Amino acid sequence: MKTLDGSGRVRRWVAVVSLLLLLGRGGPVEAQIKLEITEEGGRTLPIAVAPLSPLAEEGSPRLSDEFTGVLARDLDLSGYFQVIDRSQDGGESGGVTPESIDFQRWADLGALALVKGGFLFEGDSLVVEVRLFDVAQRKQLGGKRYRGERRDLRRMAHRFADQIMLLLTGELGPFDSRIAFVSNRGGSGRTKEIHLTDLTGTQISAVTRDRSLNLSPGWNPPANKIGFCSYRQGGPYPYIFDLLAGGQKRLIAAVGYSGGRWSPDGSLMAVSLEQEGNSDLFLLSPDGRVLRRLTERAGINISPTWSPDGQSLAFCSNRGGGPQIYVMNVNSGNVRRLTFRGDYNTSPSWSPKGDVIAYTMRAGGFHIMTTPVRGGEPQELAQGEDPSWSPDGRYVVFSSRGRLRIARKDGRSVKQLTGGGGDDTSPAWSPRLE
Amino acid sequence: MRNTRMWSWGIVGVFLIALTVSGCPKKTPPPSESELGGTGAPGLGSQGLGEKGLAPGDSEGRVKERIAGEHDTSGGGPLRDVFFDYDSFDLSQEARDTLQTDANWLKQNSGTKVEIEGHCDERGTVEYNLALGAKRAKAVRDYLVTLGVSAGQISTISYGEELPACREATESCWQQNRRVHFLLVNR
Repeated sequence: MKTLDGSGRVRRWVAVVSLLLLLGRGGPVEAQIKLEITEEGGRTLPIAVAPLSPLAEEGSPRLSDEFTGVLARDLDLSGYFQVIDRSQDGGESGGVTPESIDFQRWADLGALALVKGGFLFEGDSLVVEVRLFDVAQRKQLGGKRYRGERRDLRRMAHRFADQIMLLLTGELGPFDSRIAFVSNRGGSGRTKEIHLTDLTGTQISAVTRDRSLNLSPGWNPPANKIGFCSYRQGGPYPYIFDLLAGGQKRLIAAVGYSGGRWSPDGSLMAVSLEQEGNSDLFLLSPDGRVLRRLTERAGINISPTWSPDGQSLAFCSNRGGGPQIYVMNVNSGNVRRLTFRGDYNTSPSWSPKGDVIAYTMRAGGFHIMTTPVRGGEPQELAQGEDPSWSPDGRYVVFSSRGRLRIARKDGRSVKQLTGGGGDDTSPAWSPRLE
Repeated sequence: MRNTRMWSWGIVGVFLIALTVSGCPKKTPPPSESELGGTGAPGLGSQGLGEKGLAPGDSEGRVKERIAGEHDTSGGGPLRDVFFDYDSFDLSQEARDTLQTDANWLKQNSGTKVEIEGHCDERGTVEYNLALGAKRAKAVRDYLVTLGVSAGQISTISYGEELPACREATESCWQQNRRVHFLLVNR
C-alpha cells in the first residue's frame, strides 16, 4: 500500500536553515504585541499576512496562495489572532526587509503584526524565506528560511505558524502535526476507517481501507505509527498501522476495545484486552508481548492514557459502579479515583504538560472536561466527546455532532476543524512531526 | 389458528413446487424467515431455516457481513433478542423468560452454533459502549450456560454502538439498540 503523502515521514531534507534574524543587536526585543495576546482575557492580535513574493524570476501565484492560506488558517485556529488576509494584494512590493516595507500602509489596515516573505527555486529545491514584523515598532521579530521540495510547502507554512506562536507567546505552536480520527466518509455509512488530516482540516486521507470497523487511534512518539482497534479479522483486535511501510499488523491475538497506547519513550504499550466480558489493562512490549497485567477486576477497565513522564496511566473504569476516571502509578500499581462529579466520565487524555487530564462527561449531552491531576474542580471546555491534547498542551481536539473541533485550554476559543463528508469522531492529535 | 396457517402454507408450498416443475417463468420469493420460524416451536431444527439465515462459520466473514448490513435484525432463527436498561447489563425478568425459551431451543439443537452479540444505544462514548456490549453478551452467555446450554455452542462479540438496529434519536429506538442479538452460525 502506498504511503500517505507527508504524514509522519522523517523530513530530513526540510533543512530548516534557522536564521533567526532577531534585530535586537542590543537587548531582547521588547514586543508590546507579545504581551497583549497572552493576557487573561486578551483580545485577538490583528496580524496581516502578505503574499509571498517571488524572489527570482518565475513565480506562481498558487504557491503564494497555498502558503499564505495554510498560515492564515493556522493563525486563525490558534484563537490568538485576527487575520487580515492581504495575500491577494497585487502590486505588493517585493520588499522583505524592514527598510523596504511600508509599515504605515499596514498600520492603516489595522495590523499590529505582519507576515511577509518570498520564495525561489534553486534547481528542484524550493526555498521560502518568511519574517514576522512588529508593525508599530517597524521591527523584525523573527524569521526563517526553509528549504525543501515543492510538496513541503504546506509543512513550511505550519512550521512558521508554530514559530509565530513561539515568538509572540513564548511557546512553540502545535500546527506541524497530524490528527488521526475515525470516519465513515467514503464508505457505505456503516464502515469506519482511520483517517488523517493536517491542521487545516483540508488534507484528509484514509489510512485503513478494509471496509470494516476501525476505531480508537493513537500515535507512537515519532508519529509514524498508529495503534488502533479493528474488526477486519473479527475480534476486534488491536492493530498497528505503519505509515512509513504502509500496512497494518495485528498487535496481539486477543480481543480488545482500545487501540494500543505507546508510552512517551516508546518502550511500552498499554492496551485494554477483554476476557469473559471483563476488560483489563495490560502492559505490552511494542511488538505485542504481554509484560504485565495491570488490573484484575470483574469489570471494565479501558482507554489508557500515559502521563508525559511515563510513570502513570489514567483510564476509565466502572469499579465504582458507573464509569469514572482513575489514575494508576504503573510501578506501584497504586490506583486513585480522579473524577467525582457526575456519574459517567470516560475517554481520558493526559496533557503533555502533565498537570491536567481532559475527559468526556455525560450529563444530558456530552461535555469536554479538564481536571487537575492532583485533584480539584473540573472545568468544562466545550460540548463534545473524546478529547485529545495538542503536542504543546494548549489545545484539545474533540468531536461534536460528527465534526472535529479544536478548543483552547482556557476555553476562550473553539474552532471547527472538519465538517462535511461524513461523521468524524475519536480524534488523536499526533506529536510534532520531525 | 396456527394449524390453519401451516396448512395454508403447505398448500402454497405445493403450488409453488408445481409452478416450478411446470416451467412457469414467474418467480416468487421464498417466505420470510420470521414467518417460517414463528414462535420458536421446538423440533423445527436447523432444516427450518433458510440458508440465508446462517452467518459464515469463520469470525472474519461473519463480522464482514454484519458490518455490511446483513442480519441486523434477523439471522437468529427462532432465537429472540433480549433487551437491557440504560447503562446496564443486568438481565430483567422478561429477558430471563426469553432466554429460557432460547435455551430450550439451543439445547434441542445442540449441533447449532450461535454468536451472541452485545449492542448499546448511542448515548455513551465509543469505547465504553464496546466494553458494555461485551458485558451484555457475557451476561446472556452465562445465563444460558446455567440453563444447561453447552458453552461450546456459544461465541460472543461486542459491537458497542457501531451496528444499531435503528438510528432515530428516540427512546423507542434506543431501547431497541440496547440489546443482545443472536446470530446462528454455519459450521
